[in-house]
Amino acid sequence: MRRSDLGEFEEIVLLAVAALAPGAYSVSIAEELESETGQTVSTGAVHAALQRLEQKGYLSSHLGEATQERGGRRKRLFTVTAYGGKVLHEARTVRNSLWNRITPSELSKMGLDFSNS
Amino acid sequence: MRPPLPPRWLDKLATRICAPHLREELLGDLHERYALRHRRAGTRKANFFFLREVAALCRPSIMRRNPSPYGTPSAFSRDMLRNYFKIGSRVLLKNSGYSLIHLTGLSIGLWACMMVATVVIDSLSYDRQWSRKDDIYRIVTVNKMGKDLSERNSSSPIGLAPELEKNYAEVESWSTVDSFEKYFKIRPEDNDGISTNLLTADTSISRILDIKLLAGSLKHSTQKHWSLLVTRAYAARIFPGQDPVGKIIYDIPTFSSEPTPYEITGLIDDLPYNSHLRADAIRFQAAKPEPLVNDGIMSFGRNYILLKHGTDVTQFTKKVNTWYTRFMKNNSREQFEFQPLKDIYLHSDFADGQEVKANIRTIYIFGGVALLLLFIACVNFVNLSTAKAFARVKEAGVRKVLSGSRTQLVMQLLTETLLLFGISVGIAVFAYFFTLHPVENFLGHRLVLTFTSNILMAGGALLMFFLTALLTGLYPAWVISGFKPANTLRGIFTASLGQTGLRKTLVVAQFSISIIVLLATIVVWQQFDLMKNKELGYDKNNLIGIEQISWNGKGEAFKSELQRIPGVMRSSLSMWMPTEGAGYMQREVDDPAHAGRRLRVWYIAGDVDLPATLGLKLVKGRMFSNRFADAINADSLREKDFVKFEKAQMNQNSLMTASAAKMLRIKQLDVHAKDAQSVPVGVVGDFHNESLYEPMKPTLILAQKAPEYASMLIRIQPGTEMQVGAGVRKLWKHFFPEKLLRIHNIEDKLAKQYEAESKLHQLFLFFSGLTMFLSALGIFGLVVQAAEQRAKEVGIRKVLGASVAGIVGLISKDFVKLVVIAIMVASPLAWYALQKWLESYPYRTTIHWWVFAVTGAMALAVTIGTVSFQAIRAATADPVRSLRNE
Repeated sequence: MRRSDLGEFEEIVLLAVAALAPGAYSVSIAEELESETGQTVSTGAVHAALQRLEQKGYLSSHLGEATQERGGRRKRLFTVTAYGGKVLHEARTVRNSLWNRITPSELSKMGLDFSNS
Repeated sequence: MRPPLPPRWLDKLATRICAPHLREELLGDLHERYALRHRRAGTRKANFFFLREVAALCRPSIMRRNPSPYGTPSAFSRDMLRNYFKIGSRVLLKNSGYSLIHLTGLSIGLWACMMVATVVIDSLSYDRQWSRKDDIYRIVTVNKMGKDLSERNSSSPIGLAPELEKNYAEVESWSTVDSFEKYFKIRPEDNDGISTNLLTADTSISRILDIKLLAGSLKHSTQKHWSLLVTRAYAARIFPGQDPVGKIIYDIPTFSSEPTPYEITGLIDDLPYNSHLRADAIRFQAAKPEPLVNDGIMSFGRNYILLKHGTDVTQFTKKVNTWYTRFMKNNSREQFEFQPLKDIYLHSDFADGQEVKANIRTIYIFGGVALLLLFIACVNFVNLSTAKAFARVKEAGVRKVLSGSRTQLVMQLLTETLLLFGISVGIAVFAYFFTLHPVENFLGHRLVLTFTSNILMAGGALLMFFLTALLTGLYPAWVISGFKPANTLRGIFTASLGQTGLRKTLVVAQFSISIIVLLATIVVWQQFDLMKNKELGYDKNNLIGIEQISWNGKGEAFKSELQRIPGVMRSSLSMWMPTEGAGYMQREVDDPAHAGRRLRVWYIAGDVDLPATLGLKLVKGRMFSNRFADAINADSLREKDFVKFEKAQMNQNSLMTASAAKMLRIKQLDVHAKDAQSVPVGVVGDFHNESLYEPMKPTLILAQKAPEYASMLIRIQPGTEMQVGAGVRKLWKHFFPEKLLRIHNIEDKLAKQYEAESKLHQLFLFFSGLTMFLSALGIFGLVVQAAEQRAKEVGIRKVLGASVAGIVGLISKDFVKLVVIAIMVASPLAWYALQKWLESYPYRTTIHWWVFAVTGAMALAVTIGTVSFQAIRAATADPVRSLRNE
């Protein structure tokens, strides 16, 4: 797997899609990320990331129903593909293995302690 | 409850930014979030966030438009270009009537423009090919006559230029150059000579002008011959295929009795034709060094001076004039100007002896009229195209509906314009090529730089035409392509289609121009007619003149032999001939009316028969007669003692014109009048000794016995000109076999003085015809269009009982109104301009009111003629036809 294929923001968006399934679309993702990170996330940024992810084949999409709030426009709902799931899983494995290699004694020596964060 | 909506302008902006295929989902998202935020934080915060959201849309992945799945070809792709031409040519063929109107108008306009541009460019090219053109000046003498009056003369004292060279470091070189026509023959016994334009100069001319020696030398001949440099073209004419250097040719003498031999000492490259120093050959003449003196007589010549490069001429002129005034001890009225070489051709009205010159005013008039002609042609095009827009908007609508872009439409219409212009240029160039020669004949000289001989000019012209076509075509194209397809297809035409305001203004402008040109034609003709036919004070008909020669003492004998030729009534040896200046000498005398003022009187002299031969009318006293001692033997007296001759001349009997008698207050005849410096014996009626460009001159007539250097005037019986001419020639062969006989009809010679007016008149006649024709053509196109557009209206009116006359009136009214406005606009403008033009003539025609009436009537007649032709056709058409379709 080419690791560079998945940017940090993309990874978070991909995770959010997985978390929000089956009701993941731009607004819900952006709102979710906003409440998770406490920072403003623009729809445009999320949309652009979704587009890229779909192009790469990590996501698939279909048009959902229209609501009045949307001015009668339909929303595009996203789901994670199997390939996308695999990529997420691999990313997680890489992280876990790296986390496991950190010994708590080493950490405390450097004055860093992640145990209760 | 309706969901809250974001600000409209932001919403619109978001729509603009977002690519069409993403709008559905993305704008929906934005609205949904806006509603969310509105609920949570209120309108203001929601609006603020919305603004941030819109700003965040500005990223390539959102803004990039999806290419159409069908592929829109670029408006400039090769396929589209080919398509423009295909459709364009079909459109032009389909509307062949309109195309023909366009083509005729444009071709004429372009042709005239090219022709005139050639003449103008050619005139401006004179004397620009010499390598030192910026540093060569002609010394012009300015004679201050009075307060605001000064006379300019192209010659200056011979001694001046060498003196300047001595005194001023700025002067590099100088040369005295004279030019005249001579006849040369190859063998002394030949009869006819070859007309040759000759320059006379000393060898320093080769330092000033670029004279490229091909063979021989620039040195004087060692023998006692004149030495001559001939140009290559001239040499090829007189000695085809031979080396001319060293050959001797002979001139035909005018004054001496023997032909003078000239030795050809050098062969030079052709001198430029577009130079006021146009020449076939250069005669070398050693400079006669003559010191500049501050008292006494100086001889004058045409002096050219070469200054160092970069000399400030104004400064130099000032310096020279200050020095000269000092040198002359303040009693000279002469000042000098340095006329740049490049100005000599176009700005030399004052230079009498200069044959090769043109008038800048004529060039301006010429150029102006041609530009107007092109303007009219382009106006026609714009008018007709916008009028025709009516028929094209539907096509434009359909094209737009089928996803044609505006660029494509504009390109399509521009291609049609370019096609029309291209064909017109082709026709115009063709016509230009074949009319070049007649135009050269009309002008009387060759055109060196033409569009068909000079690549650079041709390229420039093509570029100009291209730009004109673009400019002309852009407006109609913009108008036609600008309509909303929904409106045009539904048949709703907004007011902008009418554009009648602009169209009407253009028609008025067009007709104003034609009317001005027409008025100018009539007035120029009247002025020409006035000058040609004005009573001159002497009888100019049936008068023949032999140009001045030296008679070798045989003048009297020739005259008495001449008297025997049947048809000759009277003849006179005269030192003056009509058209040859105001007199053979002039004197300044005190004005008896105003003390301190000086008057100028002119003298003409001939034998005693001169007044009678001219046909002057006696007012008082008597004419000259052989019975009195009227004539003095001037030649022999002068030879013996000049002072004595002057004295005799002062006490001589004289005739004076009525105006001279009045000016000099001559009351009594037959007594010596101090002011007249002679004894007046008679007063004759005033006569115009000069052309009518000059006011009448007060003139005194003196008599001399058989003057040696004289011309001859012969009064003949009406209708015997041929017979007398033959008789004179025979007599001439007998008396002067070696001399050239230059014999003229005086009336023709007088008419020739007004050649400029005659040419201007012919030119205006031609141009007024063209402008009128083009204007009529334009209006014709508009009427055709109007009739087509109003066909239904006409049909309904007819069904409801309108008469044919009424309908013709209805259609014609609009156009006649425009032309009437044009007449009102043009008349005062033309009156003003023509009045200004006439001001330069001392004898001028008055502009009568009827001139305007006639012109107006003519313009109206042309309009009504053009309009009613089409209007009647529309009015008599069967209404069923126009009402049934659709």
